Amino acid sequence: MAVQEVSKSFGGLLAVNNANLSIKKGELRALIGPNGAGKTTLLNLITGIYPVSQGQILFKNREITRLSPDRISHQGISRTMQITSLFSGLTVFENIWAAVQSRKKFFNPFIRAIKWQDVRTKTYQMLELTGLQDKAELICSELAYGEQRILEMGIALSTDPDLLLLDEPTAGLNTQESIALVKKMRAMLSGQTIILVEHDMGVVMELADRISVLHYGEILAEGSPEEIKNNEKVKKVYLGY
Amino acid sequence: MSSPQPKSAGFILGFSMVIAVLIAVPFFVDLFYQTFLTEVLVWVLFAVSFDLIFGYTGLLSFGQALFFGLGAYSIAIPVSKFGLGPGPAFLLAIIIPMLFAWFVGYFSVKLSGIHFVIITLIFALIGSTIGETWPSLTGGADGLTVPFSPLQIGPLKIDLTDIKTNYYLVLIVVALCFLLLRRMVQSPLGKVFIAIRENEDRARLIGYNVQRYKLLAFVIAGGLSGIAGGLYGITLKYASANFLHWGVSGHAVVYTIVGGMGTLFGPVLGTGIIMSLEHYLVNYLQGTDLVIGIVLVFMVLVAPKGLVGLLQRKGK
Repeated sequence: MAVQEVSKSFGGLLAVNNANLSIKKGELRALIGPNGAGKTTLLNLITGIYPVSQGQILFKNREITRLSPDRISHQGISRTMQITSLFSGLTVFENIWAAVQSRKKFFNPFIRAIKWQDVRTKTYQMLELTGLQDKAELICSELAYGEQRILEMGIALSTDPDLLLLDEPTAGLNTQESIALVKKMRAMLSGQTIILVEHDMGVVMELADRISVLHYGEILAEGSPEEIKNNEKVKKVYLGY
Repeated sequence: MSSPQPKSAGFILGFSMVIAVLIAVPFFVDLFYQTFLTEVLVWVLFAVSFDLIFGYTGLLSFGQALFFGLGAYSIAIPVSKFGLGPGPAFLLAIIIPMLFAWFVGYFSVKLSGIHFVIITLIFALIGSTIGETWPSLTGGADGLTVPFSPLQIGPLKIDLTDIKTNYYLVLIVVALCFLLLRRMVQSPLGKVFIAIRENEDRARLIGYNVQRYKLLAFVIAGGLSGIAGGLYGITLKYASANFLHWGVSGHAVVYTIVGGMGTLFGPVLGTGIIMSLEHYLVNYLQGTDLVIGIVLVFMVLVAPKGLVGLLQRKGK
């Protein structure tokens, strides 16, 4: 995946400025930066939620810059949101089902969905992966907040993505919940190519292969967790020491 | 869907019992009540078609009157003005409203929330204005009376002027449409509609072309509303511009909210109860709408999930 000289402006505000980002297969790239640095905006540009003002985005050597979010999803990019986004009135099972079923090309209106055996089997597999199989019958809004974050990741993973974008998965969790979530993420996401936006530096250092630092919409620095930890510019603008 | 235990057996039993009762009713009630029941069945179909887009897809449309009225006129105009048989005319009552629903939906589903409500309302207003101001075609507010010849299906000759025969025809069509809709909402396509209702943005992000499926729901509901309108025209032997008035859509809204949206059974219950209430109250009151309004407010406050929601809550 390559973001090439991408900019996004909202009126006079330049939220992302000439950003370049290249992610290798299997890499977990963390995207960090102060509030308002443009991290979520960049994810919104990659997933087609916002149109790009300038530049291009390539995925699997194909330009996806002007594609709609649903078509980008079918290219193999999936994401979670900063504020948990679930099918709130449906059960945990139905949430995962909706995502698994989305990979099908035709939705037959004359068969009972539950008889769609391969979708059903995959849904149970994904429930197992998320560890939510015992809560499959619960309406998802009844889950604890941390479980809702896991479920959202499960939904994103159920579309079989080649690239997964995680927007602040530990936001709103206390330290213990964050640790539990990171453990869960490790188990769920092994081998997956990921862009992780995260404020919790403990989580970032624990999970990331490489880190990109955004500042005022520009990529300020890029490197391994160790390199970023020791980067003077990053220390000054973000880490604060 | 989450429950692997299908509830089909219970449904089949319940549905068969209701149909059996409805088959038997004309033998015990006079022609007036046979006509009244026929009308209830027509409005049941209109309400359940509305439930598909409102209850299952989350689109509050006030434009359904347009498709209902078009359904009635798609039978009335070809039969009364061009001498078409009721069979082919009934097919037109499905096709023409679906085409108009596609046209209206093409522009409407790009919008959401209150903007969607307003644009569908505007299309309904345009339809009723055209209906009222083109009396040479539509008969305006006075309407068109339709002289029906018998409906020929193979060797079977159905006399549509016979009230009991008409009742059974309407019962068969409504029952088939209900079963079709029930299957649809349980199908993979139905699950897409429900996902869109629950979270449009999430549905889009996992790969559903939300506008396409909203349009599809709109067209299907438009076609079913057209069938309801067509049956209404056949039942009354009449169609008028009043059928196109947006207030007709309001009936479906009330029936669905009172009965319980997103349940299919709710709109059936809501239609039966509200129409019966209106029927009996009209002997004592002139302003039945006031009572229906109070019932609606009461339901929204006390049982926002409608009568079905209330029954389910009691059941637990």
